[in-house]
Amino acid sequence: MRTLGRIFLVAVMLLALPAGAVLAQSTDGTVTVLHGIPGDGGFPVDIYVNGDYTAPFIPGLTFTEFAGPVTLPAADYSIEIYAAGADPTATDPALGPLPVTLPAGANATIEAHLDEAGAATASVFVNDISEIAAGETRLTVRHTASAPTVDVLANDGVLFSALSNPNQASGDVPAATYNAKVVPTGATEPVVFEADLALPEGTSTIVYAIGSLADGNFTVAVQTITGLGAAPAGVPTGTAGLATDGFPIALAIAGALAMVGLAGSGVALSRRSSN
Amino acid sequence: MSRNTLKTIFVISVVTLIAVTASYLIGTEPATVGDVGAIVDSLSEPSLPTTSALDPQPIVETPPDAEAGGPSVPVSPGLLPDLPAGDPVIPVGLKLGSLGVDAPVVPTGVNQRTGQMAVPNNVRDVAWYQFGSVPGERGSAVMAAHVDLASEGPGVFFNLRTVDEGDVVEVEFSNGTVRVFRVEARTAYQKDELPLDTIFAREGSPVLTLITCGGGFSESSGSYDSNIVVYAVPIPDRDLGSAG
Repeated sequence: MRTLGRIFLVAVMLLALPAGAVLAQSTDGTVTVLHGIPGDGGFPVDIYVNGDYTAPFIPGLTFTEFAGPVTLPAADYSIEIYAAGADPTATDPALGPLPVTLPAGANATIEAHLDEAGAATASVFVNDISEIAAGETRLTVRHTASAPTVDVLANDGVLFSALSNPNQASGDVPAATYNAKVVPTGATEPVVFEADLALPEGTSTIVYAIGSLADGNFTVAVQTITGLGAAPAGVPTGTAGLATDGFPIALAIAGALAMVGLAGSGVALSRRSSN
Repeated sequence: MSRNTLKTIFVISVVTLIAVTASYLIGTEPATVGDVGAIVDSLSEPSLPTTSALDPQPIVETPPDAEAGGPSVPVSPGLLPDLPAGDPVIPVGLKLGSLGVDAPVVPTGVNQRTGQMAVPNNVRDVAWYQFGSVPGERGSAVMAAHVDLASEGPGVFFNLRTVDEGDVVEVEFSNGTVRVFRVEARTAYQKDELPLDTIFAREGSPVLTLITCGGGFSESSGSYDSNIVVYAVPIPDRDLGSAG
């Protein structure tokens, strides 16, 4: 198993999102944790929060697994990751402590992963939970693998180019099933990864490239956030005007004739009776 | 002109005026039938139980007790999403007995140029909004069709504005099954006041929502100013199995 020492971590400040409306309570944030570090037996880890060692906040998480989403009060947190079963009071964490600030309304994913060179690190990504236009889907790709800069192809066209660890690319596209390929940037082969991705309307699909290309354990983990869809802008269903609310023309003519007849005959009759 | 002739014209005119007024009143359907508010409310039901001060939403603030059994944070494998298995069961036909409508249904999405629901450019087909609900499932299943087209004349939903409470709607599916619905309400909305989030709700009680155009017509823009909306709810007891 890869030896993981305490590593240097930069405090990651999440930017407050303008589109926090998805959360009912504005004083909370939403967090998901992804285990993206390969190792023997899936490298199971226990995750502790804020130095509370009575029990793991997340026990036994393994490579490619997500924990969450969990709703937490907006606050500063300290996250420590230990090999599963290790005594947190007697050993150093495999990773951390990782300081994370969770702003109100934010939706974030905390990921333990490899850097480009293959060392363990961690990143915090803010998930875009803004509304997705009707008929569309959101695809985000996060390069968190020990692998060079890549392009992401959708149906053999370049969708995201020059994506490098630890960066992400995102776009809203028509909802459909796409053939997705990951290739070295600027090239069409070798194909590092290929899959048919069913991307549902109104859903955000986040694909994490994880593992190590050189070690042969490169793979992807997929997170989805549903319920971001919007209604169409309207329903256009008529262009001829045959079904209007207006007074029907035949009735209007009959009514007009009757009024003329009524007036004419009435006037004539009244004149005669007054004579 | 004789006095009797004048009297006859007078009487005929009065009778005609009464007849014209009566036929207008009879021929003009009321703008709304049924309880629209109840349907709208049923589509606004939250998908999750509502929380109150007495029933606070569980917020994980402290690590779970190890003896409590199992983690409180859900764990999921980050697998690729499943591809659609086989052909999904979708609506393929719509019958509205009271209007004599028996029309094919085609799945549609969004007009990318306008952002509006896509409706086939003919007077024959009924469009089903494929990104919304399936008729009979949770939420509002939207079916729309033209009231008319300048190029083709009256459309399949020409008389939707006369649908009444209690009318029966049948939806036939691609697997041969039929689901039966009962009209609960009909109303008209100005297009700029159409409650889109309700009509396209993906949660809430199952509602079949039929839509066409109506109201006033602008010759200059070639469009109506309102949408006629019919809300129907399932009658599961009357569903039919496979037509074989």
